[in-house]
Amino acid sequence: MIAEWRWIRADLRARRVQATLTVLAVAGIVAALVTAATLLEEGTNPWRGLFTRGHGGHIWIHSKDAPDISALRQLNGVTEIAGPYVSAPATLARGGRKVPVALQEAPASLPKVATPLLVEGRWLDPADPGGVVVERSFAAATGLRPGSAFPVTGLNGATHTLFVKGLAESGDQGFYPEWTPGLAWTLRPTLTMVEPAPGRTETVTGLRLADPEDTNLVVQQSMTTLAGQVQRVSTWREVRASMELDNRLLGLLLALFGAAGLVGAALALANATGGRVLGQLRDLATLKSLGFTPRQIAAMLLAEHGLLGLLGLAIGLTAGRVITTAALQVPPSLTQLAAIGLGTILVVLVAVWLPAWRGGRTAPIPAAPAIPPHGRLSRLARLALLVRLPPALVLGTRDAFTRRVPAILTSAGLALPMMMITIGLGCWATLDDFTKNPAKVGQAAALSVRPGNLTADETRLRALADPAVTAAYPGVDLDALVPWQTRTVRTRALGTSTAPYPFHVAEGRMFRERGEAVAGQGLLDLLSVRVGDRVRLTIGGTPLIVHIVGRVIEPEQDGEVLSFGIDTLAAKDAVPPHYFALVLTDGADPQEVRARLQGLEVTQAVNPADRLAVIRVIIVALVVVLALIGLTNLLTAGALGRRDHLRDLAVLQAMGLTPRQVMATLVTGTGILATLGVLAGTAAGTLLSSTLIDWEGHGSGVGAGIGRAPTPAALAAAVLLAVGAALLVALIPARRAARARVPVTAG
Amino acid sequence: MTVLRTLNLVRIYQNGGVPVPAVRGVDFTVEAGEFVAIMGPSGSGKSTLVHMLGGLDQRTSGEIWLDGKRVDTLSESAWAVLRRRKIGFVFQFYNLVTNMTVADNVELPALLAGMSSREARERREYLLGELGLTERAYAAPAELSGGEQQRVALARALANGPRLLLADEPTGNLDSRNTRDVLKLLGEVHGNGQTVVVVTHDAKVASKADRVVTLSDGMIVDDASMRRRRFPPGSAGDVVELHG
Repeated sequence: MIAEWRWIRADLRARRVQATLTVLAVAGIVAALVTAATLLEEGTNPWRGLFTRGHGGHIWIHSKDAPDISALRQLNGVTEIAGPYVSAPATLARGGRKVPVALQEAPASLPKVATPLLVEGRWLDPADPGGVVVERSFAAATGLRPGSAFPVTGLNGATHTLFVKGLAESGDQGFYPEWTPGLAWTLRPTLTMVEPAPGRTETVTGLRLADPEDTNLVVQQSMTTLAGQVQRVSTWREVRASMELDNRLLGLLLALFGAAGLVGAALALANATGGRVLGQLRDLATLKSLGFTPRQIAAMLLAEHGLLGLLGLAIGLTAGRVITTAALQVPPSLTQLAAIGLGTILVVLVAVWLPAWRGGRTAPIPAAPAIPPHGRLSRLARLALLVRLPPALVLGTRDAFTRRVPAILTSAGLALPMMMITIGLGCWATLDDFTKNPAKVGQAAALSVRPGNLTADETRLRALADPAVTAAYPGVDLDALVPWQTRTVRTRALGTSTAPYPFHVAEGRMFRERGEAVAGQGLLDLLSVRVGDRVRLTIGGTPLIVHIVGRVIEPEQDGEVLSFGIDTLAAKDAVPPHYFALVLTDGADPQEVRARLQGLEVTQAVNPADRLAVIRVIIVALVVVLALIGLTNLLTAGALGRRDHLRDLAVLQAMGLTPRQVMATLVTGTGILATLGVLAGTAAGTLLSSTLIDWEGHGSGVGAGIGRAPTPAALAAAVLLAVGAALLVALIPARRAARARVPVTAG
Repeated sequence: MTVLRTLNLVRIYQNGGVPVPAVRGVDFTVEAGEFVAIMGPSGSGKSTLVHMLGGLDQRTSGEIWLDGKRVDTLSESAWAVLRRRKIGFVFQFYNLVTNMTVADNVELPALLAGMSSREARERREYLLGELGLTERAYAAPAELSGGEQQRVALARALANGPRLLLADEPTGNLDSRNTRDVLKLLGEVHGNGQTVVVVTHDAKVASKADRVVTLSDGMIVDDASMRRRRFPPGSAGDVVELHG
């Protein structure tokens, strides 16, 4: 073992810069992965971030009167207590509608436990007793902003006009409207003004635990301790569940990007190790002649390069943790760290194993420096010389293909990152397409409006009266029972068979008659049916047989939705419609239309692209990392090529080629391989990106048919940039090599 | 006592499907303490033969016996282990491990053979002292002259006190002064009882040997024993000493 360690130490010392670069490349990729995973988790499950930042309470006890705080504090596992705060029910009158709201007492200075996270405006001020701070999702749903009037009516019927001072987020309550009533914080005197009767208020107390897993136990203990005072209890698990976006598409995309990142890491490592092993074959042969066994050499290389990878992993994990904690104030979850760590270890071992094995198989004869293969001029090359093409071009082209293995390595080393970059651009184009054509992702209607206090006809007429609304399709969402299924599926009756809602049909056709339906991929998978099959369901006790005539792109409910005309339903279920889906004129701003439809309960569709916005950041980061990997591969290939070329250079100079021509020959040699690699990678990426995204769509239930290839302009720019950068990278060393005086007998 | 024996040793390379015989049935023995020079024109199979003797190349057929044991059937790993203890190699291009210092290069075989760091260091200090390289111990191979590098290679080959020292054109890349130094060292090593087999096309090297084996087209065409030099160098004895 001492001999192996002696060699590893010497080798690492001899190439400090290269080893550092390898460590940094792996660390960079791992840090990017950790950050991306945390960002995506923030998008899909914002609870953890909000809870961590707000130092939230794991258990919230709602009681009639203030509980015995000292008794709660003594419960095993309780570390801190929030409150107790008084909370009063009230009604907010807004836009002609009345919305229930919970006014909760808050101290004038932000509390240390269960801190509301102010995102806009100011916190409460005792000098301004009419102020409230509104929970952000509730404010978004009701259109409240800092400065808006907040007219609340207490249970005694008196209305008080308060004003919104700020908006805040909280990890202690779910988002509105999944979690009702909406939440607004206010100072105690304001609360007493709205609800003077103590009998009509309740007290909420938050408990923060040392270990969240003790939640159930602590809930039971507190129920016993407070004996009968407790009205209800909510825990962090319910809050988290209500905030979670059950979106498999995001999960799959994260997996795809994770895989892309790890492939990047593998490429960087395999290239660095491979290049190093190729560069020291002679030394390895010498070691063998001294008595190193093939297994010893392979193990030694694996240990050396694997250690660099693991060091990179450790630095990357630490950096990722520091970055996410500093930028997002949320440390990455242990599960993610473990998954990324294990994935990277596996990738490191696989990436390093092959070159190490190759090193172990080196022939033990430390031969004289390799003699370049004697390539002959092909007929094409001779013809090219005959028609007086520049000799540098012909010689460079010939040179590029003489050494087949390095040529393939160079091209593949660029093709792979380029393929991943193209796939990233494809994802970008798909997201753009989501935003530009929401109809294509099943969101033809930007708004939906519920009748509320009006009749269905009045609602429809008022909506259609807006110049930007072109159509209003009546809709009913119902759960249906399917035989042999233990769960219900969502059915959506929208539009009529004669005037169907413009679903985006990806396969088959639109429904045209009563009893025909279209389904999302998720539903087809769930029921194991295909387009053309008939399905029997029970809706509201009425049996119904529908003929699935098409598959639509369905972003809701993981695609597990069956859609048909409202006339397919029995009249008792169909009338009156629950809502109207409003299709707007091209270019109309849904926000403006929504503002104009005062007095109606309007909901705006959330474009999947908005939820996936964070992926764009990740795409940019990955493209940068992949481009760096491509450049590193090119540098390694260039260094190896120059080593093999030394003898050629001397011969070329002796033949009378000027330094400029020698340089052109070298640049052509590398440039042709780089161009081939870039083009091959782009072609493969273009072919793969739509397929891959459609596969993602299929897997997530949304359905195939959403994938878009990158735009020609983006592709052209990417290819030009990549080839340009490759030529530039080839030019600098070629220039230096062409000017160097190399003896013909070198080696 | 016979250190090395080969029986009908054959090596045939395949070049694009065409068999190219490099060594064609070589039978020869090396006794303990003998200094054998293998000579012959370029392409006569000398290097192939010596590589096969050290297990660096595989024979096509025939037998190799080292210290009374048959070794041609050994696996690559078993050959490697055998080389650690019994065979030292010196190459034309020195083949020092480029990223290691002179000291590390010399200590490596000793460490590989299982010596402790201290023992390996003591052995290295002794060998470098003997070869006059003590001051260059911490230099990189690239900082040494060709002659110095070959002396280090010799020290490395002798690190484990091998039964057999194989040298492939040890002076092929050296000027006459360095050739003389290296030959002097080889002579001294041999004088201490070391068995040496040298491949060379240099008559000066061959003149140091007890025996000169001449190869041509992969076959032994001459195997001449040379009596030890009894006359002072440069006298008439050099000219008239002839053997059959």
